[in-house]
Amino acid sequence: MSANVAPCQQPIPLSQLRAGCTARLHSADLAKDDCALLKALGLTDRCLLRVCKAGEPCIVEVKATRIGLSRTLARGVFVVPEALA
Amino acid sequence: MASSSSLKRSPDQAARVSYRVVLVGNPNTGKTTLFNRLSGSRAKTSNFPGTTTAARIAHASLGNGHGAVEAEIVDLPGLYRLGLSTPESRICREVLAGEGLYHKPDAVVVVVDACNLTRNLVLVGELLAYDEPVVVALNMVDLAQRRGLTLDAAALSREIGCPVVPIVARRGEAVDRLTGIVANVLRKGESHTPIGLATDDQLEAWADRAVAASVTGVGSGADTLTERLDKTFTHPILGVLVFALVMGGMFWTLFALAALPMDLIEAVFSRLGVWVTETLPPGAIRDLTADGIIGGIAGTAVFLPQICLLFFLISLLEDTGYLARAAFVMDRLLCRFGLPGHAFVPLLSSHACALPGIMATRLIPDRRDRLATILVAPLMSCSARLPVYVFLTSMLFVGQPLYAAVAFAGCYLLGAVSALVSAAVLRRTLVKGTARPMVLELPTYKMPSFTNALIAARDQGYAFLKTAGTIIMAISIVMWWLSAYPKAPEAPEAVTLQRAASAATNDAQAHDLLARADAAQARAQQQQSFAGRIGRVAQPVFAPLGYDWQLTVGVLTSFLAREVFVSTMSVLLGGSDDPDLADTGVIARIRQAQRDDGSPLFTPATSASALVFFVLAMQCTSTLAVTRQETGSIKWAGVQLAYMSGLAYVAALITYQGLRAAGLS
Repeated sequence: MSANVAPCQQPIPLSQLRAGCTARLHSADLAKDDCALLKALGLTDRCLLRVCKAGEPCIVEVKATRIGLSRTLARGVFVVPEALA
Repeated sequence: MASSSSLKRSPDQAARVSYRVVLVGNPNTGKTTLFNRLSGSRAKTSNFPGTTTAARIAHASLGNGHGAVEAEIVDLPGLYRLGLSTPESRICREVLAGEGLYHKPDAVVVVVDACNLTRNLVLVGELLAYDEPVVVALNMVDLAQRRGLTLDAAALSREIGCPVVPIVARRGEAVDRLTGIVANVLRKGESHTPIGLATDDQLEAWADRAVAASVTGVGSGADTLTERLDKTFTHPILGVLVFALVMGGMFWTLFALAALPMDLIEAVFSRLGVWVTETLPPGAIRDLTADGIIGGIAGTAVFLPQICLLFFLISLLEDTGYLARAAFVMDRLLCRFGLPGHAFVPLLSSHACALPGIMATRLIPDRRDRLATILVAPLMSCSARLPVYVFLTSMLFVGQPLYAAVAFAGCYLLGAVSALVSAAVLRRTLVKGTARPMVLELPTYKMPSFTNALIAARDQGYAFLKTAGTIIMAISIVMWWLSAYPKAPEAPEAVTLQRAASAATNDAQAHDLLARADAAQARAQQQQSFAGRIGRVAQPVFAPLGYDWQLTVGVLTSFLAREVFVSTMSVLLGGSDDPDLADTGVIARIRQAQRDDGSPLFTPATSASALVFFVLAMQCTSTLAVTRQETGSIKWAGVQLAYMSGLAYVAALITYQGLRAAGLS
């Protein structure tokens, strides 16, 4: 499933976004330590992120930081797509 | 080297050291580069008390002229947030609060990446909650400018309430200004008013406000080169190919460049041993010095080139930014067995030697992931197993080089598969859990720093010599004593050969006879020694594997270091103690060796059983010493010894009994 169709308010897993999409972080369904680490890396509530590479790993850019996430983690991170790819 | 006690409270030290400054910062901000700039080559490495986390400490003069102060600088481990439940965050919290064993610092220098200010300022906000003076070193301002960002350090300083100094640590730009300001802060002893940002949201809003007030420009947008490189390096196929090329190159370099200094070290210690033997009068002191102490030091020092070179190369690779991408490539395979992607460098390094491999597990952030990797790393076939593999495959397949080559390759495969399967079992039993899903900051690609790599190589080599060396030498001395005592009387065979040498008509014949006499005496010594007696006592345990007492002694002495197996068998079975396998006479003699009942010692089943045993057994006291050091507990060294020996025994038993049942005994 691809999410680069239209802006919407429904959160979807980060793993479903295609490269080039931007989205806002909505929530994370992950272990407490993983959530804390993601937050420390800059993936904070409602932060704007851009998907640089989809798949395994998923690479996102947040405020000039590039973060690689394994697919397992990307499936547990929920985002709201912002713009067309 | 500084002892770990240098990080602890001590009235004497407090009186001697004027000031203590700690360096704090996110990973990849250039903190280590700044530390190396400040300390030159004078830094010392130790562990934080009660941990295996390395601490680097240096004494430096900060500031110029009359305003200069002497300070001890402590490079704290890189961390993203003080509040995380990682060992790095815990250590930083304790150091800043002066809790437990730590001495409270007089000032904190926080290194901040100018390209990534918001996230870095969140850490600064956390640090400002403490009452120590904070100075912000705003690093990589050149890179920020190239990306279209304009930073106003004065405005940032006003906004956050502490000094901010823009620097380029890599080129040393404005580092003098930074040290001058730190010296000034230390002399005045003034601090900021601790800010009370209680929640993450407050901290993030504070950081956003500070950035809005001090940074203009929007950056240069997507870095297409970085994106293309990332896509290639993490691609399921291309990524693996690049990884194979990089690792192949790294290990080729390691083997090619380490061989010469290793040979030199061996030659130097060998000559030293000969010199001691020729200089000191015969007796226990001479034997202990030449064989025990010099042999023990040589056994440690010979690994030094590999360890230094490996860490030099890893540091270069890490600096380029490639290692973070490579970790994701291997994560796909290793996570199925409960290991993280970071484990690939330690496991691959263990093919050269398990010692640097285990030390390289420091790259793994999660403690349990790291422990699992340490426990299985010695199953990868190291270079010390090579002579044993050559020896036993040549016993197994006489005159069949193709089969011998296949068996040889099979040993490597068996070791690697066993390591992965063992990891999967360990993650379900003793080190319960799955590999933590990988999330990593992908640092900017950049040219590596040779200075940083040289310092890393030196520090790791020094740490290895200090911690492992002492233990290895002690064990070597004990093993020497077990094999040297009690002294055997002159063996009749040796006496006969010596007489024959005296009567020989030419020098070559006399030399040969004397060498055979020495070998006969050495064999008698092995039989009479405590090690030999233990071998006879232990033989019933190894009988189901097809080993007689001679093979048992060979296997037992190999628990010191597996490479001694060939020389031990050579001595026991009538060759010289020269393990040079080019001497085909030695192999031929060993191949014809017999048990006490006259049957052949090395049957196909026995050779295969011994081969499997050597692939899987933990026969390296140096590795156990380093495991104890890196895990901080002798328990895990014991677990490693027990499970690997048990695995080796069962696999060798199945091999021997299976081949016997198939009629290949």
